[in-house]
Amino acid sequence: MTENVITVNNISKSYGQVRAVNSLSFEVAAGTCFSCLGPNGAGKTTTMKMVYGKCVRDADCDGTLDVLGYDPRTNELDIKCRSGVVTQDNNLDEELNVIQNLMLYSRFYDIPKKEAKKRIAYLLDFLELPEKSKSKIRELSGGMKRRLVIARALINNPQLLILDEPTTGLDPQVRHLIWEKLLQLKEEGTTILLTTHYMEEAFRLSDTVLIMHLGKKIMQGSPLELLDDNIEKYVLEINRPEFFDKIKENQIVSKVRVNNTNQFTRLFSDKVETLQAISQLLKGGEYQLRQANLEDVFLKATGDILNVR
Amino acid sequence: MSGSDRKMYPPLWRRLYSVWFRHMRVYTKNMASNGLPPFLEPLIFLAGVGLGLGNYITEDVEGLKYIEFLGMGLLVTTAMFTSAFECSFGTFIRLEFHKVYDGMLAAPVTAENLIVGEMLWAASKGFFFSLSVLIMLSLFKIVSFGDAYLAPFVGFLTALMFASLSLLITSFVKTINHFNFYFTGFISPMFFFSGVVFPISKLPAKLQPFAEAVPLTHSVRLVRAVCTGNYRWALGLDLLYIVVFIAVVGFLAVHRLKKRLVY
Repeated sequence: MTENVITVNNISKSYGQVRAVNSLSFEVAAGTCFSCLGPNGAGKTTTMKMVYGKCVRDADCDGTLDVLGYDPRTNELDIKCRSGVVTQDNNLDEELNVIQNLMLYSRFYDIPKKEAKKRIAYLLDFLELPEKSKSKIRELSGGMKRRLVIARALINNPQLLILDEPTTGLDPQVRHLIWEKLLQLKEEGTTILLTTHYMEEAFRLSDTVLIMHLGKKIMQGSPLELLDDNIEKYVLEINRPEFFDKIKENQIVSKVRVNNTNQFTRLFSDKVETLQAISQLLKGGEYQLRQANLEDVFLKATGDILNVR
Repeated sequence: MSGSDRKMYPPLWRRLYSVWFRHMRVYTKNMASNGLPPFLEPLIFLAGVGLGLGNYITEDVEGLKYIEFLGMGLLVTTAMFTSAFECSFGTFIRLEFHKVYDGMLAAPVTAENLIVGEMLWAASKGFFFSLSVLIMLSLFKIVSFGDAYLAPFVGFLTALMFASLSLLITSFVKTINHFNFYFTGFISPMFFFSGVVFPISKLPAKLQPFAEAVPLTHSVRLVRAVCTGNYRWALGLDLLYIVVFIAVVGFLAVHRLKKRLVY
């Protein structure tokens, strides 16, 4: 099935003078996971919000937006009843316990009580929270709250699941658990749209990664394509600029791409032997030699220094 | 995965009801701390007047004993206060601090549904608060429940007016402290100068038009008429004021607050 669940075509969004999203286009195929990456302020969250109808795209942009066959500007309810959203903040009702929180949301979708109870039991089990069903929200850890918000977003068995930084601030165990569950949902046919700052998350989950910067698309492709097309295979990371200064006159260094920042120097090459030869010039502990990863692509694409907007 | 695929979103009344139900569910979760004050507050007020202040006021006020006059006013001021707090501080906290609306708006509910549902909830709270005062007043034989059973409906309308107004104010407010201006500058004076504590005919002639302009005056007049069975055609103007106020201010509130929910 190659049908698109989301088609974004040349849309923009401005807040006053600031253009948060600038002529963005992308497509999300059914049953795939699509990740938006980008520095803070790149426009990721705004993009998500336009998809689920929390933000309205600029009226003067001639772009189009199609989500599950509907335009969020005119048919937000049709989209909302078929999708689930995990926002950046956990906005659970603190006054209610776990099961009450979920029951409350089942009403918004008009799910009959009996069916809702079954669905909730299933979801608590799915997200490994069954023994917490009567717990108060404040008794839950950050990871449990996050899983509960995900369970809430799944209450209507959505075709499209939108997650804005689902694992930010969580421990590795919970993060891996959430990844496993999201992959399982994807296998079951749920289309996933997510934003993240974790390259590993994007790499593991996504079929397609979009890197945004200052409201614009910088690059897009499968994680492996992005690696192949945009970065050398290996990186020699030199921990301090002084260490690099000792060897930078060496002729062999001219054979590799050098990326200098204030903190450290990275040498890139497709030939691991070249980097190994350079590393011989350094002491152990002054460098790491490793395979290039999505983070290297990301930093190359969006710049190494903080972008003050 | 289990569960059927939901192709249709719920109808309008159902969406409004879901919003209303959410607020009711959260409110009734703390029944002891939320449900008792509406009964205790009028009790304290009436004790203060009955035991102390009342001794100094021996004259009849508009043909009523002072405690009756004041008690009937409390039927609507309680609705005013509860609704004004709910739709100012309450709404602002849900909007900015707890981000409750972000979650609700991800469900099949529009911003308009959410705001109107909120108004209906505040109005229902006004009904309940009015009813609690009425129960206390009738227990102390200040008004008879049988005569005044329509008073909570006036409480409902009063709360709806103040819900609309407070939501409109909320749409302008950037920090929560700004509500102090609204309460000290508008709500509190209204309590004293809208014919609740003394008749507006005792106000200086120049101030009387101001009293007529504010919403509470019309609620007070209507609720006293309901309690005393003293219906007259002029009350139609008060009712008209209330209906027009709710429609106009409510429309503006939805229009403006919507822009803070969906932007």
